Amino acid sequence: MLFNSIEFFVFLPIVFGLYWLVGGKRIKEQNLLIAIASYVFYGWWDWRFLSLILFSTIVDYSIGIALGKNEKPNKRKVLLWISICVNLGFLGFFKYYNFFVDSLIDSFSFFGSELSINTLNIILPVGISFYTFQTLSYTIDVYNKRLEPTKNFVGFMAFVSFFPQLVAGPIERATNLLPQFSKERSFNYVNAVDGLRQVLWGLFKKIVIADNCAKYANIIFNNHTEYNGSTLLLGAFFFAFQIYGDFSGYSDIAIGISRLFGFNLKRNFAFPYFSRDIAEFWRRWHISLSSWFRDYLYIPLGGSRGGTKMKIRNTFIIFIVSGFWHGANWTFIIWGALNAIYFLPLLLTNKNRLNTDLVAEGKYFASLKEFGQMAFTFFITLIAWVFFRADNVSHAFSYLSRTFNTSLFSGFEIFPNTILSLILFFIMVEWLGRSGEYAIEKIDFLNKSLRWAFYMLLIILMFSFTGEEQQFIYFQF
Amino acid sequence: MKTFLKNIVLFFVLAILIGEVVVRLTHAVVDIPQRTIDENGIQKYFPNQEGFWKGGNHKWVINEMGWAGELPKSYDKLVMVIGDSFIENFMNPEECHQSIFLKSHMPNNNFLEAARAGVSFLEAMEIDRQIDSLKPDHTLIYLNDKDFYESVYDIEPLGDIMQVNLNTKKINYGILKAPRIKKVLYNWKLLYYFYNRFPLNQNTNKQIKDKKKDIEKYELKIKEKAFQLVDYVIENYEIKNKTLVFHPHSNKEIIEKCKSSGFNVIALDSSKDSTWTFEHDSHWTCYGHKKAAEQVFKELKKYISN
Repeated sequence: MLFNSIEFFVFLPIVFGLYWLVGGKRIKEQNLLIAIASYVFYGWWDWRFLSLILFSTIVDYSIGIALGKNEKPNKRKVLLWISICVNLGFLGFFKYYNFFVDSLIDSFSFFGSELSINTLNIILPVGISFYTFQTLSYTIDVYNKRLEPTKNFVGFMAFVSFFPQLVAGPIERATNLLPQFSKERSFNYVNAVDGLRQVLWGLFKKIVIADNCAKYANIIFNNHTEYNGSTLLLGAFFFAFQIYGDFSGYSDIAIGISRLFGFNLKRNFAFPYFSRDIAEFWRRWHISLSSWFRDYLYIPLGGSRGGTKMKIRNTFIIFIVSGFWHGANWTFIIWGALNAIYFLPLLLTNKNRLNTDLVAEGKYFASLKEFGQMAFTFFITLIAWVFFRADNVSHAFSYLSRTFNTSLFSGFEIFPNTILSLILFFIMVEWLGRSGEYAIEKIDFLNKSLRWAFYMLLIILMFSFTGEEQQFIYFQF
Repeated sequence: MKTFLKNIVLFFVLAILIGEVVVRLTHAVVDIPQRTIDENGIQKYFPNQEGFWKGGNHKWVINEMGWAGELPKSYDKLVMVIGDSFIENFMNPEECHQSIFLKSHMPNNNFLEAARAGVSFLEAMEIDRQIDSLKPDHTLIYLNDKDFYESVYDIEPLGDIMQVNLNTKKINYGILKAPRIKKVLYNWKLLYYFYNRFPLNQNTNKQIKDKKKDIEKYELKIKEKAFQLVDYVIENYEIKNKTLVFHPHSNKEIIEKCKSSGFNVIALDSSKDSTWTFEHDSHWTCYGHKKAAEQVFKELKKYISN
């Protein structure tokens, strides 16, 4: 079920109504309702994969209980590895099996020998990368004694399958989300209104910005040999806003819906295109994944504590694994490696935490220097997005080589005024609202009628500029 | 919770009202004229209506006879132009109608259009019969393959379209489907906008595939029934001074069957031309209408004295 579908428009009020009808003090019933609603939500795509989530839930719940009862380090380690193997085993099989087989066959043929292993016709379960990482975080935190194992199976089931963020995050830490399933939840007017506002902004990002950008990004990327350099650069620009609008839009909707049900999810995006360097960009982009890798991979590997070699190794590992998490394709690996290359100079010169504050805080305009830094950071991420969007590595290189030649200085062959005006409007709203959790969070300075007029404007824009309905990009990851 | 729900309801009511105003002001949906059924069982529009096409760039008008377009100044040397939504032509301004283009080629003749979306071949013949009182010199009936198939009850019963049951030789007059709901839908513009934007009965790929299979399966049956329909029309209607104008890419066998049965036939050809149709609409653009009229004129002048 898509957030931007009619089915969801019917589903959400029903679940919301039943949820608060049950009452805030009856946590068990509310959790059960969330679990059932989440399974319906997920089963709407393909009910067969519900068994996968259920199995993963049972395994991690049981291992959590076992870890709570066991103090022997070796036994605890075995239990942890069982959880890692089961979760990553499913992920590896569904997501990476064919990639490894193809790569193995290619490697053998490179050395002149033939290998015959058949690839499988595997359907990737929607959101598997997200809920796998979420359940893993639980087991690892219980193993590290950062979290008490839960004995509430229904609550745990609801935590794993929590429908607002099940298929495309934010990837929630068990330490943040799981305890919320054991607490009494009462309806909070301010929270609910704020949640709805965030949902509205998320829908705007998805429907108006992402879906309309997708149209032009697809045309330009799919026919890149027919366009000049400036148009190809514009194509990458459209993709940059497509992926941002799509993914951060989903996160906003997920966080907003969770607030309607009395839950607080972690922030996933913090205006990444206003970053002054790539390190800041990565602190602001897909925060839940970056911090997951930081806490569960980068720091256990030694982080940036060791020598230069170790720093370089760890940086490359975390970025390449992050790229590979997005999909079984060399393009994602190169995308990750390219970001590591961008990031390393800052890390090695200890300048990776120069920009931790808000750009031009309290001001309407950034300084020329800040503007230049933001433009440069955006430009290098644009180049990296080409690898992310391209069908394969040769497509990406061909795209870039056709972009950066003399035709870069010729006129645009495609220049949709309407969508570019909408992007400009979007950037302006995001810039003005960058001190909030999301762009229109602090709209309360307007009086009620003006606020409502603004919401109406967003709704009218949504219906007037509905692009072709596109599935959320991150569902495939 | 009460305040929250109250505000939600209030916001929705306001949103609906503002949405209605916006849709009306921007003409986001086409105005649909109200229909009726006359004493002969023919679906027509209520006379003297007018409205805007989508975008509001031009108006359509329903004349006092209940058909789209202006009436001619005189009924002398009258040529009737009968057809479906192509001839009704709400999507183009008045100056792009077949009658206007034909009149520019044949200024001594007068042209009257009698067209409505969904008119089948059989209904076109019925309209022609009823309009005979105007004593036209000639009648042009614009058709495509679908108009033949939709005329035959035996192929697929369609309640809102006039059809003939070829087994019983009985005509089933079309009825207005859910007229009250439609009246609400067409007047509540915002609702109609959503209805168009997010259709409830979108065909899935599987349904489309099944339908294609069905079409292949029934192709032979359809052709046979279309031939029987032509025979039925020949037996039951006057075909003298009637010319059938076939849309480009129409079924050649049906065209030949009509020719051999005694109809004058004009087969339009758009193959040597840039596209006649809109980008997201299979209807003809103003250019398509102009080209169609040029081809019709070339043939028509053979049949009537100018």
